[in-house]
Parts: sequence; C-alpha cells; structure tokens
Amino acid sequence: MMMNIFFMAAACYVIGIFTLLLPHRWQKAAHYTACLAAMTGSALVTYNAALVLLDLLQPAAVHWGSYSLACDKWSAAFLLLTGCAGIITSIYALGYALSYLGKRLRLLGALWNLFLGSMVFVVLAGDAFSFLLFWEIMAVASFLLVNHEAEKRVTWNAAYQYLVMTHIGTAAIMIAFLLTGTYSASFAFADMADNTLSAGMGSIVFMAAFIGFALKAGLVPLHVWLPNAHPAAPSHVSALMSGVMLKIALYGFGRFVFYFLPAWNYWWCIIVMLAGLISAFLGVLYAQMETDIKRILAYSSVENMGIIFAAFGCGMLLQVTAGGSWGTIGFMAALVHCYNHSVIKVLMFMSAGSIMHATGSKNLELFGGLLRKLPYTAACCFAGCMALSALPFTGGFIGEWMTLQSFITLAYNGYGQDIRLWCSLAFILLGFTGALALGCFVRFFGIAFLGRARSQIAEQAHESDAFMLFAMGISTVLIFVLGIYSAPLLTVLSGVLAVDTAFYMPGIADVLQSGGELLQAYGAVLVLVLAVTAVCFAVAVSMAKKAYVASDVTWNCGTIPTARQQYSATGFSKPLRRAFDYLLKPKREVSYVRKDNPYFGRLLSYKLEIPDMITQKLYLPLQKYFVVSSAFLRRLQQGSVRLYVSYVMAAMIAVLIWGAIYK
Amino acid sequence: MMTGYHSLGYSLLQALLLLLVAPLIAGIIKKLKALLQNRIGSSILQEYFDLYKWWRKPTFVTPYTSCIFLAAPCVYFASTVAAACMLPNFIGRTVSLGDVFVFVYVMALGRFLMTLSSLDAATAFGGMGGSREIYVAAFVEPVIMLAILSNVLHTGSTFLGGMSLDPGEVNLTVAGVLTCIAFFLVLLAENSRIPVDNPDTHLELTMIHECMTLEYSGRLLALIHWASQLKLLIFLLLFSLLYLPLNIPVVFKVLGSAVLVAVVETLNNKMRLFKVRVYLAAAGIMLLLAIAAQ
Repeated sequence: MMMNIFFMAAACYVIGIFTLLLPHRWQKAAHYTACLAAMTGSALVTYNAALVLLDLLQPAAVHWGSYSLACDKWSAAFLLLTGCAGIITSIYALGYALSYLGKRLRLLGALWNLFLGSMVFVVLAGDAFSFLLFWEIMAVASFLLVNHEAEKRVTWNAAYQYLVMTHIGTAAIMIAFLLTGTYSASFAFADMADNTLSAGMGSIVFMAAFIGFALKAGLVPLHVWLPNAHPAAPSHVSALMSGVMLKIALYGFGRFVFYFLPAWNYWWCIIVMLAGLISAFLGVLYAQMETDIKRILAYSSVENMGIIFAAFGCGMLLQVTAGGSWGTIGFMAALVHCYNHSVIKVLMFMSAGSIMHATGSKNLELFGGLLRKLPYTAACCFAGCMALSALPFTGGFIGEWMTLQSFITLAYNGYGQDIRLWCSLAFILLGFTGALALGCFVRFFGIAFLGRARSQIAEQAHESDAFMLFAMGISTVLIFVLGIYSAPLLTVLSGVLAVDTAFYMPGIADVLQSGGELLQAYGAVLVLVLAVTAVCFAVAVSMAKKAYVASDVTWNCGTIPTARQQYSATGFSKPLRRAFDYLLKPKREVSYVRKDNPYFGRLLSYKLEIPDMITQKLYLPLQKYFVVSSAFLRRLQQGSVRLYVSYVMAAMIAVLIWGAIYK
Repeated sequence: MMTGYHSLGYSLLQALLLLLVAPLIAGIIKKLKALLQNRIGSSILQEYFDLYKWWRKPTFVTPYTSCIFLAAPCVYFASTVAAACMLPNFIGRTVSLGDVFVFVYVMALGRFLMTLSSLDAATAFGGMGGSREIYVAAFVEPVIMLAILSNVLHTGSTFLGGMSLDPGEVNLTVAGVLTCIAFFLVLLAENSRIPVDNPDTHLELTMIHECMTLEYSGRLLALIHWASQLKLLIFLLLFSLLYLPLNIPVVFKVLGSAVLVAVVETLNNKMRLFKVRVYLAAAGIMLLLAIAAQ
C-alpha cells in the first residue's frame, strides 16, 4: 500500500522525463508539463512521507530479487524535506525556467524530473546497490543541470570540477558499502545492520563513509566544488541542490552511523564535530568576502552544513561520553537545522534568481536600491537574510539555538578537560560564525536592496512574475512558521529519533522543567518585541507624520552625494578582511593608471583577489603531484608490443613464485 | 517555574523601571567622567532633557531611504526592552524569561536592523559605521559565548535567572574573578565605550556606533539613544548579577560598576580599530583560563 504512492510519484517524474520527446515547437507545453509532473510527484512524496512520520502508515519494503525499496522514519524525514522543496522549486521553475526558452528548455525540464526522482529514490533505497545506482543518477543529473549553460567556459569548468569531485565521493561511499557488505549476510540494509565489522575495519568504513558524504555535503576541505557549481547552475537548480541534495548527504551518513556502525569511537565524534565547526567558520568567512550573490549563498551553505554536522558530532560525542539518550539533543538540532536551512536556502536561491532575472547580473557591487524596484523579492529576501543570520522569529534561530544548547549540554555533562577543550573551541567558532553570518547578510541585503542604485541595470530592474513570487512567498511563510511555532516540527522529528519530548534534556532537569515552557517563554519574548515595535512605530513615526520634513538630499559636507560614495560590498567587508588576513591572504593590487599630478586627478586601478586557501594549499599541490606521477607512469606505456608481452611475462613469473611460496 | 513565563508581569514592570532609570545611569557616568577630568560637566539629568528635546524636534528623512530606516530604531528599542524583560527578575525572585541564547539573539535582532539602516541613507559614513560594527561584533560574540560557557559550568543553567550568583555568594575563585574581568572588557566593547569606541564624538576617524546613527533625528534618534542607555544598564546589571563576586546589594553593584566605567574611560584612550581584536582576544584567553580552572 505504502509504496504504491511512491510509485505513482515515480510515474509522475517519468512523465516529466519523457517531455523531452515532445517536438521543439511545443517546448513551452513540455516545460509546463514537466514542472507540473515534478510538482505532482513531489506532492505525493510529501503526503506519503508525512503519513509515515505521523505513524499513520506502517513502513513496508518492496523486494525484487536482491534489490529493495524501504521507508523507515529516518528516510521519511528526508523524503518530507525533498517533497516540500520539490513542490516549491517546481512552482518557481514554472516562471523562472522560461528564461531558458530556446536554450534546451525541454532538456532542463526532463533533467529536473530525473534529479528530483533520483533524490527521492536514493532515500528510499533498501540495499547498497540500489542506493549507489540512484546516488549515481543523482550525481549525473545534477552534473548535467549544472552544465546547462555549457556555452560559458566558467560553467563548463565548474561542472567538470563537480563531476570529478562527486565521483571521488562516490568511490569512497562504494568502499564503505562494499566493506560493510563483505562482513554481512547480504547487501540489503537490514542485513548490513547485523554486520561483523571489527573495530579497526569499522574505523575504515567510517572514514570512507564520512569522506564520501562530507564531500557531498560540502564540508571543508572537500567543499571546493560547491562555490563553483552553485553559481553555474540555473537558480532553481541551485536551490534544489543546496536545499535538498546536501541534506541527502546527512541522510546517508546517518544511515551508516546509526544503523551500520553502532559502536562509535571517541575520535569519530571528534572528527565529525571538528569538520563541522571548521566548515561553519571558514564557510561564513569566505561568504563575507564574496561579491557574487550566488557564491555568497554557496559559501553560506558550507557554513550551515558545517553547523548541522557540528551538532550531529556533538550528539555523537554526548552519546559516547555521557551515554543514555543524551545525544538526542544534538541529533535533533542537526535534523531541525536541516529542515530550516533547506527552506531558507531554497528561498534565498530563488531570491537570487529573481534578482538575476531582474538585473541580468549576479554582481553585488552593481546593485543598490533594489527594494524600490523589487518590493516583493525584497520582503522575501529580508526574511531569508534574517533567518540566515539566525535571528529570532525565523527558523534559522531554532536550529542555531538547539545547536548551542547541545554544546552546553556536552560541556556540562561531559567530564574531563578534553570535553572542556572541544566545547570552548566550539563556542569560539560558533560565536564567530553567528556574528559573521549576521554581518554577511546585512551586507547582502543592505548593499543589494538599500541605498541608491550603483548601476544602470539596478535602475532598470523589474519585479519577477507571479509564479516566482508565489513560490518565494510560500517559503517566506514557512520560515516564519518554523521559527515562531516550531513545536509541531520538533514533535514530529523527535519521533524520528524516538525521544520523549521535543526539548528532552535529562541532565539540566532543574533548568528545563519542560521544553514546552521554554518555547512559551520564547514566544512571550517574540510577542513582546512585536508589541513594543508596533507601539514605537505608532508613536515615533505614524503619529509624528506632521513633524516630518523630508530634506532634499543627505548632508554631505556641502556637496551633492553621488551613488558612488556609498559603501561598496568590498569596502564593507574590509575590516574583517584585514582582521582575518592571516587566513584569507588577500592579494591586493593598486596601480596608477594616470599620474600627471601627484595630488589631484590621479586615476587608480584597484584589484582584489581572495584565492580559496584550501584550493591553494591542498588541491593545487595535489594536482601538481598527480601530473608529475602520471608523467612517471607514462614511461611504462611505451606503446611497443614487445614491452607489453614482457609485462605479461613478468606478471606470470611473479604469480608463479607467489603460488609456489604460499601453497 | 524556572522559565518565568508566568512572571511576565514582573518582567514588564522591571523593564519599565530600567527604562526610566537608564538615562540617569548614563548621566551619572557622564558627570563622573567630567569631574574626573576636572570639568564641571552637565547635570546628571541632562540625558532626560536631551531625550525630551529630540522628542519634540522634527524628523528629517532623506528620499533615498526605505521603510527599513524608519523601522530600525523601533525594532532596536523593542529588542532592547525585550532583553531587559529577560534579565533575572530582581523584583522578588530569581527567575527569568527565556534562556541566555534567546537573550543574545534578541539583542542581535536590534543590531541587524541598525546596521542595515546605516546602509540605507546611501552615505559613506553610514556604511563605515555599519562595517566597523560588524567587525567589532564578530570578535565580541565568541567572547560572550565563552563567558556564557564559563558561567554555565559554574551554575549548570542556561537561564539568566539560574545563572546569576546566589544572593550572598562570594565566588572569589580563579574562575570567578577572571570571568568577571573578561566580562567587563566585553561590556565596554559591546556598549561602544572607550577604549573600543567613543560614545561622545561624531568624528569619522573614531566613531562606530555613533556613525551608524548619523542620519537620524527627532523621535527616531531619541529612541536609539534611549535604547543604547538601556542596553548599557542591562549589561551593568548582567555584570552585577552574574559575574561580580561580591556580597553587596545589587544597586551598589550597579552604581559601583558605573563608576568603574567612568574611571576606565578617563584613564584610557580609544585604541586603534585593528587593536580591538587583541583586546578582545585578551578577554577570550582569560575566559579560557577560567573554563580550565573550573
């Protein structure tokens, strides 16, 4: 019964894929059909996942020989997320993808359905081989989507970098699955849960799985593909990649950690936690330095996936050091932040798409004053920026709050100086992350939407169409619902982890009598903020209307201010660039284009480049090493038949000797 | 009832009281500074007069601005009042409304809007202030988080009510004293006082917080100043209730720390902007020592 609805969803996606076969002159019809098919499919997935999460349906598996599909609550949690994001982004695609009219629009629609379908079935996979099959389809579909504007050199480079990186990840995941499968009765997940991995083998499996999934999640130092791939892809694709695909990595990682490797090692927890914390910090630091709006969002995804993995690692560490059900607070934080970040990032990429649609650019330095041109986009983007700054009222805050609470729980319940050390480090890095994220999105919103237009394109911007605005509106509402009334989501997700109450923190019982009351107090604070704001606004602005005098221009020491005198995005992040120059190593170049007079009328040219530290220090040397070692290997391949025959001969002699010795 | 949701009435009453007292504390600090610098200075009630003056003056709004510019002071004021409500309830009981992270992030809400408003008037000065504010905040926040951690390790609670020292508790330990000093350093940075920022000047080379508010006038300016005074009082109260390890009544603790602020501001110069990170790193290291010592 249960799987039937998923098969209906699959049928929808397949219909969407087959719109590719419609003739070119029906491309608009094909586009609408594809988007509607994706929407219907996602709606069915959402419906069914919700039923499973609410205990209205019993999970049942479907088998075909050794292949199987299954849906437990851990899968359902991610299916719900995929479905919701799928519906919203498909509505958005109805309007946005039309800008690709005549540019392989049918292919875009078909790949869109393939990508969504593959993500749903990765999560539904019940054995290692179907998992790897759908994982690979997901990787290839997303690669083709990233590569959609293949005419551009940048896109092509980004897409191929993504393809190479994602296959390194797949290789690592394959190793993890094959090793686990070798020590189990079969490759079905149910059997793999009863594996006989030794402690040492377990560590190898863990590391392989972590590398594979961390690469997909975009954790530092495996994140290099992400800030290139997201800006290259069409905006609704970036939204789905960032909002859902990165979370699928957590699904896979959780599958390994919870089901296949139940005996956790202390150092595993530390690795997950530290990788998360460092990603969070470096991600947001680079986001602050970027001027490409989609790269800012991509780095912010690195940051948020970092927070999610940090919370997850904290949960694991709590489980290892304190035992009991202590870890649940960390896992809850990770899951809740997954949901919230998914909604927020979908919204933000859609807003970025709307800005690009309106201006034709993604360079923050060219915008300014867009709030007057795109009022609805501005309102949605404002909500998204608030949420990414983890401010109260928005879902972003709930995830951040629970993450901080889980680290506090760890600090208070883990004994020993080592736990103190990790917690201090976590609080320093999370503190930096919080403040830098706020700065980053003040910069994003302030430079793009406030002030005056910095270029022609910003002056001529126009608002997006109804489909796009509707999709953005839904996500905006969701962000506030998840931030203000989060109890239902917490209850449902606590069912996934089988916890008693939403904010179940057994240790600090005298502090938290119950989670409900904590949320009520938070609600009271929110009401208070709203009420006082309203009163202030009424008294200071509305009732004082008569007293207003709108002056002509801002006082500018006697001159008329120009739009160029505003702070630029690069200027805004200058103090931070200087403060963190040890990490960022900015390359700054100022030269005189014209210098007739030393004091007046000089024309300067200014160039700033912040190369990604990880690429510089890790990937470029690695690349060099590969080139050198392949030059060495090339000597073996001389192309002469006699040489190859002698290789065969040598190999045979070696085998014979080996056989003789070990008989 | 540790969350104090049911004592909302008390909390509101307390916030109102603090709101009324806040300009007085700011006035006392100003007067003390003047006296220490051999000036007569203005009356300690001068801040009330200023607020009244701004309240009657018209508001100038430049045509470049949007609704964010008008909303920002209101949200800043509201978030500060909400933070005041969340302080440990010193009228009668030691409960508080919500936990310390909500407190920190509600304050951040005000900062978010104020920094945005600095970019709204399309001037170079506003952006300068906003950019510097973000820079200082980026280094303040980790230190505040460490101060919270140090306190939680001592008290085992994330509620401001539970985190406060018991009445009569003299926490003269290595950890207690170091945390206390570090929090005082953060207090100066967070409230834009010397040596991090100068609250008395509008010179573009020195200013951070004042520079963001340069375009404001009339009632909106009054709201911002009132909220900033309240914020200073909130931090002095937090310092007194949570960190100052002495057994004296809260009122004297607050007045004493106000005097301390005046003395520190008189004895020091404003430091260079890029020295602030060293200053805050010192506070951070003290807190790390405090955490290790517990």
